[in-house]
Amino acid sequence: MNIVVGVSDMQVSNDPKAAIITYSLGSCIGLTIYDKVARVGGIAHYMLPDSTIDTAKANENPYMFANTSIPLLFKTAYKLGAKKQRLRVLLVGGSKIMDQNGFFNIGNRNYMAARKMLWKNNVVVDYENVGGSVNRTIKLFVKSGQIKLKVSGGSEFEI
Amino acid sequence: MIDLKKIIKDIDKLEPIPQAVQKVLSIVNNPDSSISELTDVVQYEPSLTANLLKICNSPYTGLTREVDSVHRAVALLGMNQVGDLILLAGASKKLSKAQKGYDLKPGELWKYSVSSALLSRELAKRVGKVDEHFVFTAALLKDMGKLILSQYVADSFEKINQLVTAEGFSFREAEKKVIGIDHAELGGMVMEKWKFSKKMVSIVRNHHLSDETYDPETYVIYLGDILCMMMGIGVGADGLAYRFYKDVLTDLKISEKDIQGIMADFGVKIKEVESLYSLS
Repeated sequence: MNIVVGVSDMQVSNDPKAAIITYSLGSCIGLTIYDKVARVGGIAHYMLPDSTIDTAKANENPYMFANTSIPLLFKTAYKLGAKKQRLRVLLVGGSKIMDQNGFFNIGNRNYMAARKMLWKNNVVVDYENVGGSVNRTIKLFVKSGQIKLKVSGGSEFEI
Repeated sequence: MIDLKKIIKDIDKLEPIPQAVQKVLSIVNNPDSSISELTDVVQYEPSLTANLLKICNSPYTGLTREVDSVHRAVALLGMNQVGDLILLAGASKKLSKAQKGYDLKPGELWKYSVSSALLSRELAKRVGKVDEHFVFTAALLKDMGKLILSQYVADSFEKINQLVTAEGFSFREAEKKVIGIDHAELGGMVMEKWKFSKKMVSIVRNHHLSDETYDPETYVIYLGDILCMMMGIGVGADGLAYRFYKDVLTDLKISEKDIQGIMADFGVKIKEVESLYSLS
C-alpha cells in the first residue's frame, strides 16, 4: 500500500505493508527518516524555509514550512517508538530553476533551513541528494527500510 | 534528421478545443456581452453544462449553495470565472493523458496546467492592469505543444538530456537544438491553428521568454509557470531546467517575499485542485 505525501504534507508509519512516497520534489525538501529497529519511517515534504512569513498559514498547515514541519516529523516518529540515535536521515530536493541564484533560490534556502535545524539538534544527515535543476521522487518501504530515489531524466535507484 | 513538416502536420491530428468552448471564450472576452449570450451557448451543450455544474459544486469553488443551472453559476461566480471553468472542463480531457517524452503520468500535465493557470491568475490580481481571464486561458493552454512533441522528445531523450545535464542548455533550448522545434513554438502553432488571437499565439510561443519582448501578460504567465515548477506540481523529465530571469520580478514589482506568500497561499489550495481532477 502506498501512502502518498503531498506538497506541504507529512506522513509517518510503522505499517509493515506500507511504502511512503512523495512525488516530484522541486525546490521543496523531502526530509526522510527511518528507524530500522522500531521499523518506523516518515517523510516531510515542505515547501518554504520559514513560517514567520505567514504564521496563520503555519497554524493551518504546519507541514508547509521547514521550521514547523521538521519537529513534527521527529515527534510523530518518536511516538511510534523511533529513537533519535538510530535514525537514518536523508535530505532530498531543494532544486532551483536554472540561473536562479541568491535570494530567489528558495530551494537552497529550504535545504539550509533543514541543515541548520538538524545540526542544532545533533541529528546527523546520512545521505543528501539536493540542488540542481531536476525534480525528485522518493519512496520508503516501511518494513525493510529500503529507500528508492528517482531523479528526473534518470531511472530509479536504491540508496 | 527529424522531419519538421511531419511534426507540424501532427497539429491536425490534435482534436481542437470544442467549438462551444471557443464560443464561450469569445463571449467572455467581449466586455459588451450579456449573461444570456453565454447561457445560450452553454445550455445546449449537455456535457459542458454537466461538467460546469460538477465543478461549481465541488469544494474547489467554495460555494455553500447548490448550483443547479448555468444562470445560477454566472450569478454566483461571475462571467469571467464561469468562462475559466468552462474552458477548464473543455480542455481537461486533452491535458489528462500521459506524456511519455516528458515522463508525465495520466493527470500530471492537467495538474500542472491548471495550477499554473490559477497561479498566473493570482499573480495577475497582484500586478493589476493585466486581464486575469486572458492570463488564465493562456496559462492553461500554454503546454499544448507538449502533447505533440512528447513522442519526439521520447525518441531523442538521451540527446536532449545530455545537452541539459552536460552543456548547460535549458530543456526548451535542447528540444530546439535536437528536434528543430520546441514545445512553446509548437504550442503557438497549435493556438494559431485553433484560431486563437495573435496575442494568445505570441504568449504561448514565448512563455519561456525565448525572445525578449516585454509584455506584462507574458511575464505573469512565465512567472506562474516558474512557481509551479518550484512547487513540483506535475513536473516531469524536464525538471526545473528552464531559465530564470530576475528582471521579470523587478518589472512586475514582485518581491521574493511576495513569491513566498503566493506559494504559501497556493499550498493550501493544492488539495482542492486535486479534487477537481477527480471530476474531470
